[in-house]
Amino acid sequence: MSFGSYGGGYGGPPGPPPPGGGYGGPPGGGYGGPPGGGYGGAAAPTSYAGGFSAAGANRGPPPGADPQLWSWFTAVDTDRSNAITAPELERALINGDWTPFDLDTVKLLMTLFDTDRSGTIGFTEFSGLWKYIKDWQNVFKHFDRDRSGSIDGGELRDALAQFGYNLSPPLLELVQRKYDPKATQATGRYAPPAGISFDRFVRACVVVKQLSEAFGRLDTDRDGWIQINYDQFMNTVLSLP
Amino acid sequence: MPGQPYMQTPLGPPPGADPQLWQWFNSVDEDRSGSITVIELQAALVNGNWTRFDLDTVKMLMSIFDTDRSGTINFTEFAGLWKYISDWQNVFRHFDRDRSGSIEGRELAEALRSFGYNLSPQLLNLIESKYSSEPVSGYGPPPGITFDRFVRACVAVKTLTEAFQRIDTDRDGWIQVSYEQFMQTVLSAP
Repeated sequence: MSFGSYGGGYGGPPGPPPPGGGYGGPPGGGYGGPPGGGYGGAAAPTSYAGGFSAAGANRGPPPGADPQLWSWFTAVDTDRSNAITAPELERALINGDWTPFDLDTVKLLMTLFDTDRSGTIGFTEFSGLWKYIKDWQNVFKHFDRDRSGSIDGGELRDALAQFGYNLSPPLLELVQRKYDPKATQATGRYAPPAGISFDRFVRACVVVKQLSEAFGRLDTDRDGWIQINYDQFMNTVLSLP
Repeated sequence: MPGQPYMQTPLGPPPGADPQLWQWFNSVDEDRSGSITVIELQAALVNGNWTRFDLDTVKMLMSIFDTDRSGTINFTEFAGLWKYISDWQNVFRHFDRDRSGSIEGRELAEALRSFGYNLSPQLLNLIESKYSSEPVSGYGPPPGITFDRFVRACVAVKTLTEAFQRIDTDRDGWIQVSYEQFMQTVLSAP
């Protein structure tokens, strides 16, 4: 579908990305390609490794639970409360370059998967969260064509285009600088930006999706222009992750 | 090793510089390059509860004070940054009425109102949950907003409100924007 002036339009994927297959025809057999040596674990697994031999000693998994998933859950749930808090999740999640996830990404994940609104993630919710991260890891690996462990400008453009968002070059530049951990408005003059880390890439995609959808809902006549009042505008922006 | 003794000798302060400020600058400028990078600044800044500043707050500070657009903060720029943070610390302490070290809903509403933003209760709730240090669940006490996220929240509200007002030339509280302008406006806020 197409929405006039902004091309590919909103309504496209990101969000929980479809498992396998969804993103047009990736050359060379899709996400499953060899990750190369580069990824110290674009998000979680490696960091979960520490200390879960001790964790879980007292508790068996719920009936029918994936034992591997259960042991990851108990490794993240460091106080053995059977519920993962934001600080516990924050300590467990790291990017491929060993930097921690931003609090805002952790809160985004909590908000998406804390379906019973308890403020924490139970085991059932954790399996959704786990799958979501794995799916995004595959998306990340797919678009990180040069296997650098981060997403540069061209890779970001390809990823967003694949999701159906054909942003103008100035907008792409803005997204790149906003989510690149090290870039400021000016660093490009001296050195190319370092690229977007895994957790900020997820957030960037979710933000572009949410904004485009909000715009699409208001653009009822599909002419690429909206009328919006101050309250709606602030509401839209402050609902972003 | 040649060069090493030189590296460890602090450069002298520029003429007329505040010696205390110069010392702080040098402790942040770990590699003694004479300028502070995003990473060095993030390593130096902590909240009252010892949590690190968010990267987005650090980037926001850099973009406000990197006036020569070099991508780093030099000593002159650092003086402005330092003052800005001290001023915000005073604001934070002033509105943190219960001295909890974080800003809760009512304190946030009061702060924003005193800055001239009369936001609806719904918007205030949104800001509180967006900038709180943990998800707001309705169980237990609200997590509150740490210093660095409080600054970012206030700057975001200011930036967005001003951007809206620039477009709203007839001052009727409504704007008409294209997709491009909408995205540009929103993504430029910290």
